[in-house]
Amino acid sequence: MRITAFTQLITVLAVTAWVFLLPISAVATILVLELALLLYIKHDRLTMAAIGALTVFTGMMILLQLLFGSPLKVSLAGGLRMFVMTTAFLCLLAATKIQDIAQALVEKFRLPCEYAFMLTTALRFVPDFLTDSATTLDAQSCRGYSNRGNIFKRLYAYLAVVKPLVMRAVAKSDTLALSMELKGFGANTYQNMCPQKLGVADYMVLLIVIVLSAYPLWSKYL
Amino acid sequence: MIEAKAVNFAYHRGEPVLNDISCKIKDGEFVALLGHNGSGKTTLSRLFMALLHPRSGDVFVGGNNIADLEPADLAHQVGYVFQNPDLQILEDTVFEEVAYGPRCKNKSENKVKEQVEAALAAMGLAELSDAYPRTLSFGQKRRLGVAAALALNPQTLILDEITNGQDEQEKNNMMQYLEKLNQEKGITIILITHDMNIARQYTQRALVLHNGDLVFDGATADLYDGKSELSEWGLKQPIIATLSATFGVEAQNAKEFCEKLYLKEGVAQ
Repeated sequence: MRITAFTQLITVLAVTAWVFLLPISAVATILVLELALLLYIKHDRLTMAAIGALTVFTGMMILLQLLFGSPLKVSLAGGLRMFVMTTAFLCLLAATKIQDIAQALVEKFRLPCEYAFMLTTALRFVPDFLTDSATTLDAQSCRGYSNRGNIFKRLYAYLAVVKPLVMRAVAKSDTLALSMELKGFGANTYQNMCPQKLGVADYMVLLIVIVLSAYPLWSKYL
Repeated sequence: MIEAKAVNFAYHRGEPVLNDISCKIKDGEFVALLGHNGSGKTTLSRLFMALLHPRSGDVFVGGNNIADLEPADLAHQVGYVFQNPDLQILEDTVFEEVAYGPRCKNKSENKVKEQVEAALAAMGLAELSDAYPRTLSFGQKRRLGVAAALALNPQTLILDEITNGQDEQEKNNMMQYLEKLNQEKGITIILITHDMNIARQYTQRALVLHNGDLVFDGATADLYDGKSELSEWGLKQPIIATLSATFGVEAQNAKEFCEKLYLKEGVAQ
């Protein structure tokens, strides 16, 4: 029994709201549930790497907050909130095709097709961008640049990589734009694919989301 | 000298890409690394440059095991030129681009200038030293990649599909520059290619990989003697080799074949 991209998007938006409405212990519980769900959906190396990177990023964020004088409790809560919101999006991306998300945004959220296409294209280019950046770093290394050492040295090495990557991205987007125009993009004659109809599972999930959202709203504002 | 000893390699997915590869490439050789797509050619060449490290077995460069080294440590011994020239361009002028390597090695500006000029001259780019690299033709960008590797004076050059996507004239230009480097400066060249004509015409030795196994290691001429299983390895006999065998005229290219055939026929008449 699958739920549609629309329901998933609503759930992710609800989780984002809960993060700010619920007490921190409940937010921590959501994180545990999210991680379990994410690992159930996809437990490959890439997912583990994404969780690892997110953990490091959260740690850096907490550290920065502490450095700027925030109390430890506030810093930890801020880090946890960011972690939960991002993990919700990771779950969405792991469980749903980008095209389905774009279709839901156009059909249900009335987002213009051009913007939805921009989203799918941007996400589709991420793996290409990563491959290109790895090749450029390798090329740099083969020319004698060693990026061994501290994080600042690595960041400096990455600066040299930015230029060729941006140039290549511009060239790619130029080619893509031309090829889209040649295929008639922008003629405003779009026909959507088979519309995503909500099923029983969707209504059940939406009901649970409404109930769970109502409780913190009730307790906080009424 | 580059040597692989019982090298095995697999990427993260776990499927073996190279199986028990052992080979030795001596100084001054011009070697073709051949094989169908996915046969492991690029992977093997990346192991030679320490861009990857074997799961088991050892790779030696200049007699030293490179297990604990990174590409930057080998840059003065081995130059590696990638398939896509655009991703290797890091600077705004041809001169600066070629100077990148020597500057990374902290050479004095005089030495940098000397090495860059020599590398540009060797690849026929001396007049373009002030040009913006991205405006160069595809063939020139490829030659720029080789010049950038050469600027560090390596003993070996590894060239990944360096002639792909170029017209015949550019291909021949590139190969003539490489031949000159090999013959006059004694630089070892490992050429990864699909182009059997190029391999036949310019290289002395061929290594053929098939599904991760090294299935042929010998003189390039022996590859076309009709005994090796070229089609089984996903390779094709070059037309000139077939014609040479049919007419009994040994030639490296079409022009030479026509001249020799004309002479032979003329003598016969």
